Amino acid sequence: MTSNQPDPLTFEVVKHALASIGDEMALVILRSAFSPVVRDSMDYSTAVMDKNGAVVAQGLTLAVQLGSFPDVMRHLLKQYADDIHPGDLFICNDPYGAGGQHLPDIYIIKPIFVDETLEGFAATIAHHSDVGGIAPGSVAIHATDIHQEGLRLPIVKLYDQGAVSGSIMKILERNTRNPVHLLGDIRAQIAACRAGENGLTKLVRRYGAEELTGYLEELQAQAERMMRADIALIPDGVYQFTDWIDGVGEAPQRLKIQATVTVDGDHMKIDFTGTSKQVPAAINAPVAMARSSAFCAARCVGSADIPSCEGYMRAIELVVPEGTIINPNSPAACGARGVMGYRTFDAIMGALAQAVPERVVAASEGGPTLFAIGGNHNGSAYTLTEVMVGCWGARRGLDGLDGASNPAANLSNQPIELIESSYPIEIARYGFVADSGGAGEYRGGLAYVREFKLREGEATFTTRADRRDNPPYGLEGGKPGKGSINEFWRGGKATLLPTMPMCSYRLAAGDSFRHVSAGGGGFGPAKLRDVDAVLRDVLEGKVSVRAAEEEYGVSVDLSSGMIDERRTAELREA
Amino acid sequence: MRKVKALSIRVGVDIGGTFTDLVALRPSGAVATLKIPSTPQDYGLGIIDGLRKLSDAAGFSPGDIGDIVHATTVATNTVLEQKGARTGLVTTAGFRDILELKRLRIPVLYDLQYVKPLPMVPRHLRFEVEERLGPDGSVWRPLQEDSAQKIADQLAAADVEAVAICLLHSYANAEHELKLEEIIRERLGGDVYIARSSSILPEIREYERTSTTVVSAYVGPTVATYLDRLGASLRAADIRVPLRVVQSNGGAMSRQNAVRSPAHLLESGPAAGVIACARAASELGLDRVISLDMGGTTAKAAMIEGGKPARTTEYEVGAGINLSSKLVKGGGYAVNLPFIDVSEIGAGGGSVVSIGNEGTINVGPRSAGAVPGPACYQKGGLEPTFTDAVVALGYLNQTALAGGQLPIDASLAREAIRNHVADPLGKPAMEAAFGVFSLAAATMTRAVKAVTTFRGRDPREFTLFAFGGNGPVAAFAVARELGIQTVMVPPAPGVFSAFGLPLADIEHEMTRSMVTPCVPANSDKIYSVALELKQRGALALEADGFRPDDMEFTHLVDMRYVGQAFELTVEVPANAINVDAALDAFHAEHDRTYGHHSPDDMVEIINLRVVARGKHQSSNGGSLVHKSSPSQSGVQRTAFFGQQGMHDVPVVAREDLSSSFAGGPLIIEEYDSTCVVPPEASVRVDQRGNIEMRIDQ
Repeated sequence: MTSNQPDPLTFEVVKHALASIGDEMALVILRSAFSPVVRDSMDYSTAVMDKNGAVVAQGLTLAVQLGSFPDVMRHLLKQYADDIHPGDLFICNDPYGAGGQHLPDIYIIKPIFVDETLEGFAATIAHHSDVGGIAPGSVAIHATDIHQEGLRLPIVKLYDQGAVSGSIMKILERNTRNPVHLLGDIRAQIAACRAGENGLTKLVRRYGAEELTGYLEELQAQAERMMRADIALIPDGVYQFTDWIDGVGEAPQRLKIQATVTVDGDHMKIDFTGTSKQVPAAINAPVAMARSSAFCAARCVGSADIPSCEGYMRAIELVVPEGTIINPNSPAACGARGVMGYRTFDAIMGALAQAVPERVVAASEGGPTLFAIGGNHNGSAYTLTEVMVGCWGARRGLDGLDGASNPAANLSNQPIELIESSYPIEIARYGFVADSGGAGEYRGGLAYVREFKLREGEATFTTRADRRDNPPYGLEGGKPGKGSINEFWRGGKATLLPTMPMCSYRLAAGDSFRHVSAGGGGFGPAKLRDVDAVLRDVLEGKVSVRAAEEEYGVSVDLSSGMIDERRTAELREA
Repeated sequence: MRKVKALSIRVGVDIGGTFTDLVALRPSGAVATLKIPSTPQDYGLGIIDGLRKLSDAAGFSPGDIGDIVHATTVATNTVLEQKGARTGLVTTAGFRDILELKRLRIPVLYDLQYVKPLPMVPRHLRFEVEERLGPDGSVWRPLQEDSAQKIADQLAAADVEAVAICLLHSYANAEHELKLEEIIRERLGGDVYIARSSSILPEIREYERTSTTVVSAYVGPTVATYLDRLGASLRAADIRVPLRVVQSNGGAMSRQNAVRSPAHLLESGPAAGVIACARAASELGLDRVISLDMGGTTAKAAMIEGGKPARTTEYEVGAGINLSSKLVKGGGYAVNLPFIDVSEIGAGGGSVVSIGNEGTINVGPRSAGAVPGPACYQKGGLEPTFTDAVVALGYLNQTALAGGQLPIDASLAREAIRNHVADPLGKPAMEAAFGVFSLAAATMTRAVKAVTTFRGRDPREFTLFAFGGNGPVAAFAVARELGIQTVMVPPAPGVFSAFGLPLADIEHEMTRSMVTPCVPANSDKIYSVALELKQRGALALEADGFRPDDMEFTHLVDMRYVGQAFELTVEVPANAINVDAALDAFHAEHDRTYGHHSPDDMVEIINLRVVARGKHQSSNGGSLVHKSSPSQSGVQRTAFFGQQGMHDVPVVAREDLSSSFAGGPLIIEEYDSTCVVPPEASVRVDQRGNIEMRIDQ
């Protein structure tokens, strides 16, 4: 290290301070947010940027969202180059021309001035429960054009030199089914930005703008060096993998995500050429999502202590062809686009598995299943939005996690008792599904089942799942997980619904919607699985006696709780 | 239980892994202390031996002891060592996996090798009983007794030692759980330990309630055995006084209650130091104080306002030390009981300094422990630690620590810093050592922020109270980083935590979930629930032997805007338990914590709480009569202060300080700690023997 570089120990002190700011911003939103999607599922992110708009710190929330700030900052700086002033506050959500992802994700960005000089930005993104459009929750998959999806906000000033725009506030209030939640969450986002502003201002005052800039530049450089060092450990080569989305409606056509990862020394290129064209349904993912997912996947195979700043992204080159489902042209609808991000992640994992199988994860449950239900209860309208996640695919040496958020998300479930206290809805069951994890030397995580029963009145719901026809893949001989199921129940009879239905459904009192997620993919041949691990799974009811025999070649006698050694030897030889 | 004798001595016993600290508080307020090695094979032996030595040294007889207040790590260690009871769980049909699904979140991002902690009850010991309640406590499906009987048989066959019962919405109606407990008790007999959620934590949110109940069942038998054995040892030594235990919220509880609610003991130890600090702050008239307790392996911070430690009901046991634990949960087992909000990080005297590839530098969380310990201990340790850095800087004595009992070799400290930090970074050794010191202070700063700025408080408005063996060494740097102007260092900082024990009041917390809009129409309902909780608290205190005059009640309300997921807890004056008072308090706290509030939005109450406190007659505290170590006037040491450079620093004893401020730099050496006063600070000692340091910011 040469002498003109910043002092390494003070640099570490600054890193602690930055991380603390990102976390504090995240905590302000977590605690004071209103929409269940934000507060319980933690579908939001926070970041602090330097004066060039490069992320220097992030709150530890939704992994796949964290890479989505660079795009919006690029647009902002281009559109407002000479028009950023103290007291300004920007708001936007538009995927086209503002760097947004889908309309419910609203960005709030505050430039930070110290002594009249721009020193950085504080930014937040949060998934709001409703921004209008054709169905409650604003994530209706049957939208075919973004104009059906709700309120579009280009990058505009919500505050102009300290003065709030009453006009924008009124527009916001009128364009949501849930103004209390929307405005409450916007306030929480603004409060978080203020916390970020305070934190960064203190740092500028403590170290001086010039010295701090030196540290921030070193932070980016260090992250890039660390990411490059990790990439250099991956064998050079071209690795290709194709993953699939089930497709929309009653007669789905599967959609392709193709990732070609080229590793050359300390450089990684990820090329999505070959991916399906955009579709007339709301599952197109604006490019910010694909970029975010790709960075997340690369970051996951790197070392754990790479600083969460933009620098590591510099080591990765992305090619995302226009007009595809992961870089659509306006006016493609994109409300339920999240699935593309998770499948992008899966496709990159599948490619990297060929190079570094010990550092990846087999496909997980597929990412969140969306479920939004709305109706009237006691004279007032309600909307419940659920973002359901559940398990991981297996790793070399480790089973997939049972009961955990998809690794590219870090979402939470909503307490059943709170849902039942607030809505005329009963959660009729919530638990693991036996035999759903992909068989393997290391077993995939178990699927979950969650059933929503309407107790009173009538309601409308929409849903968006995936991974029924194209279940989560296994690796190195591991089996795929079980596919997902959507069912409508009335009078004791079930009707199978599409994974991505192009319509909304009516529920009457007593009807229910049951979702069974997909299970995680397995890793390695199932017949190599440790016999005691199979026995434990059987005793715990996670794997059936029959599956133990058929998939794993292990014969368990349930009455004694023991393994039939001889029969097992026979089965495993066969 | 009999009442504590009015003019008797209260003894505090703080058992740690290595040392047991004892403190005796006389009615006059005078204090005696003792530090002895712990006796892990039978802690009772150490306590009895210690009591004998303490009474001999301080000149009282064991018969003068009125009661013993104890801080214990037995509950925490049972979890950390995974040595709890073989536990079964009974849930509502359809929901046995709630315990294992948890809230789905994990505490790290981007780590594909993550492994979840195993559930305390494996799936085959989780049973589903046919029944269902609604959120208002109404019965959607009656408890099917045949299903309950069958489960009781299965629990018996599974040979469980403890059973946790947690049914959906049981906070609103305990009848099904009570019936179930009766059936299980009848089938399994008196020996099995049963924890019932409607008794342990009658609060909404099924995962947190289930987990809290399971943790209680898991540690219950171990805690019971431990306290029974300790009680027996005391009786055998003819010490027949009530044994009380400090809870995680800082209140004391009887042994019997501890056995019933063992999860209340999880943070017993850390709570003691904060109570001591809160009491000292009250006596000094300090309204806003941050406690910083830095020991050998970790540093702990807490916030005290108006003499009351800030509390939380969101806690995870077994999550490890995680800076972001406030934000990212899931690494451990949720226990949503009242805790003093202590934020803990892995930075202590033994914390190892490590340099990673690409220049990342860390102090801790890995610790060199007692063996090999810091390099300067001469026990073969080569890696530099925090202690080595402060020895190299000249802050600590250069020949021996612990009042001369622990000889050190300062050249080994300097060598470790040079070889492992200075040379790799291409920096002079002193600057490297100061960098390590500053970095440790930065991590402690994060711990302090987690309990202050994360709650909307500005640390600059607080006084920093530093104790523990290393707190007074690092205090000035932490204060400087946070913009704090005043640092207080109490007498005997190394055993200060134990002072909190004899000062702890007996406490019971009564709680009731009632998801209710905070509107005038509900005033009567709120008032009557508060009254009922207060009466229950009074009954519990009466059972502990308190008269109404000695009882004190605090009314707390957990509130949120309709639609929010997290509540803020606010205090409502006992003479004004009404909707308006609650709303005012809530809006003010929301604004203070999050920087905004909305007076027009609907607010709802989630829980009502009453904290019932039995005031101890002799608990008006006391100042420490501390033994003076010989003054070392004339001794000087060279110490390095970063940008302020090298200084020849006088080394003095606390007794050498006067009541008026003298300028730094100064090093105050004591038996169990060293207080460092930098050049830009001034220092004095107050009438109670506290060192008061003023730092120019």
